[in-house]
Amino acid sequence: MDWIRIFENTLRAAVGIDAAYFALAAIGLNVQFGYTGLLNFGQAAFMACGSYGLGMTAQYFGVGFWWGIPLGLFFVVLLALLVGIPTLRLRADYLAIVTIATAEIVRLFLRSVKFKKYFGGSDGINNFSREYRDLNPFKSGTIYGIRPFLFSGYSLYTLIVGWVLVALFSLLVWQLMRSPWGRVVKGIREDEDAVRSLGKNVYAYKMQSLVIGGFIGMFSGMVFALDRGSVQPDNYSRDVTFYILTALVLGGVAKVSGSVVGSMLFWFIFVLSDNFLRELTRDGPLRIGGVTIIQSMQVGPVNYMIVGLGLILLMTFRPQGIFGNRQEMALDGR
Amino acid sequence: MGVGGIGFITGSAAAESDEFFIIANVQDQEIVNAAPVRTPVTGVGISVTDPAGKLIGEAITGPDGLAKIGVPARADYIILLDVASLPDGLVLIDTTKSQVKIDGLLFTTSTKRVSFFTGKATLAGATTFEKVAQRFSDGVRLGIIIAMCSVGLSLVFGTTGLTNFAHGEMVTFGGLIAFYFNVTLDIPILISGPVVILMGGCFGLLFNWGIFARLTKRGIGLISQLVVTVGLSIMLRNIFLFQFGGRTKQLTSYAKQTNISIGPIGITPRDLTTAILGVCILISVALFLQKSRLGKAIRAVSDNVQLASATGIDTRKVIRVIWFAAGALAAIGGIFRGLDEQVGFQMGSDLLFLMFAAITLGGLGSAFGALIGGFLVGIFVEMSSLFFPTELKAAPALFVLIIVLIVRPQGILGKGQRVG
Repeated sequence: MDWIRIFENTLRAAVGIDAAYFALAAIGLNVQFGYTGLLNFGQAAFMACGSYGLGMTAQYFGVGFWWGIPLGLFFVVLLALLVGIPTLRLRADYLAIVTIATAEIVRLFLRSVKFKKYFGGSDGINNFSREYRDLNPFKSGTIYGIRPFLFSGYSLYTLIVGWVLVALFSLLVWQLMRSPWGRVVKGIREDEDAVRSLGKNVYAYKMQSLVIGGFIGMFSGMVFALDRGSVQPDNYSRDVTFYILTALVLGGVAKVSGSVVGSMLFWFIFVLSDNFLRELTRDGPLRIGGVTIIQSMQVGPVNYMIVGLGLILLMTFRPQGIFGNRQEMALDGR
Repeated sequence: MGVGGIGFITGSAAAESDEFFIIANVQDQEIVNAAPVRTPVTGVGISVTDPAGKLIGEAITGPDGLAKIGVPARADYIILLDVASLPDGLVLIDTTKSQVKIDGLLFTTSTKRVSFFTGKATLAGATTFEKVAQRFSDGVRLGIIIAMCSVGLSLVFGTTGLTNFAHGEMVTFGGLIAFYFNVTLDIPILISGPVVILMGGCFGLLFNWGIFARLTKRGIGLISQLVVTVGLSIMLRNIFLFQFGGRTKQLTSYAKQTNISIGPIGITPRDLTTAILGVCILISVALFLQKSRLGKAIRAVSDNVQLASATGIDTRKVIRVIWFAAGALAAIGGIFRGLDEQVGFQMGSDLLFLMFAAITLGGLGSAFGALIGGFLVGIFVEMSSLFFPTELKAAPALFVLIIVLIVRPQGILGKGQRVG
């Protein structure tokens, strides 16, 4: 068992690009779920809006990659209207049902042969990041940093972009939630009717929250796409939203630092478990007393089992997460 | 990158003995005296792509019905049969199998054979009426399964207020246990079925006893419980994946059957039996809810928990019964789905969205609504594939969901109270 390598990988994962794009998506989800009480189970679709917005600039429209931001925003607003108009007047679980369904349908459309011309089918889109690459200040072949935080030039570049975005949006959300808008939105979470009786248009506020959360999620998709250099429909499956939700609950709902720390912690635990189990099964299946406990092929499911169990235990015993405030987690009644 | 490129070039230029091959075998199958008689089909276009869709090679089947395509390595491939190149009057017996995936892990020797079987076209020259009738019958069968699965989901919602995102895993549980009995232990479905259904019911009870009754007792709110069901769904799905593996597998009971025709509709005896059985089960569920004492108590609790409790109904007992029924019905749905298609670790969660569409359409919390909604969604989804590509079959269900929520959010049978 190579403990040094396991810990190095784990520490690197905690600040890695996966943690950064999770943090961005979690900040967005936090605006919707944590502050407004909207059960958006389709954050993956909002991420896909960003990735495909970026990908389609090159693939379909043939314009520069900065156009990905307005295009992505257009998709985000469209998606938010689609899921928001029928559900935001209804009880919270209707939004959950419609968002989870819409996210799945969006993925089916993206990977369909019928719309391959626009979205590239199940291969997705690959050739959109040249302009972004050219802006890279580091040498892409060189390794930068000190152990264990070693990154290639291109990774480091995307990593910095990712974490700068995380910092920007954390600051934005923090300020937003101290503003009158934030107070109204938090009021909606606590008691919608009370806010309505003060003459606020609850429906409009909910829609704004959905769009803002989706907009931040869009950047998460963009960072992810730029890091991988490709956009693929199956990266935006239903479960991605749930993992992000787990990261958010882990760090603490309705807390800006919660989304960031939660995402780092999520990847810390995930990579620790993954590396540990892979080391265990590296020389063939692990057997105790002749019974096969786990094979290397089964490591993936075990990691996700831990995620699911973690979400159950967190919601049961510590719904406010590690840093959250219990009073902010009173998502009940509706 | 460079190494891979060079490897590929030498691979395709090298002598044949160094290469790996995929051999596609296309045979026309006819049932003569209950035994299949096969004749090779020539001139059928076969292409091999990698999982990303990049073309690796193409060939046309020879007089022996074989097409041989060289591939650079033992990896994952997708083999596509060009349906348009089939001789007139022939179609694939299983029309969904025009492409076959090869798993690199199972590609152990230097060649890998894949067989395609064709039969006499029944639908190729079908009139519009026949196509519609066929789709309708498929839709009814799907509707039965959805209705079966969603009654429990709706009742649980009605009595406890819980939206259970792990309900799909109850369906999967039924399918996988049925597979265990049927294939691993080699017990026919007819005998093992009742045991599977009983186990499914106990699985539902376990949900209630182990998790949700306790959460309610701790005073944890419904939205938090909803998030718990999400966690439960992730956990169970990965336990299934851990145990069962990622591929879908076939139940052995009644696996090989050919279509019989009833008027314009082609249906296997197996599907006809499950459809009739399904309708019988659904009718008895409806009668039970309508006539029996316990059924009335269930409807009372799902209508208003406090009022039912005040009239002396033991609500906690009723909730236990409902969880049992939900688990058992989901298990039946799982078995039927497994017979109909195949068994896999995601079979239930793939249906979850259709179930939600069904109970929203019928009215959240209403058992009869779930029955009606299930049928309507099933028929609508299958019928829409007359106009939509099959890969987007689920999209019309979302359309239904959104229209219902805008026009009549309480659903067909829901009460006209405020759900906002």
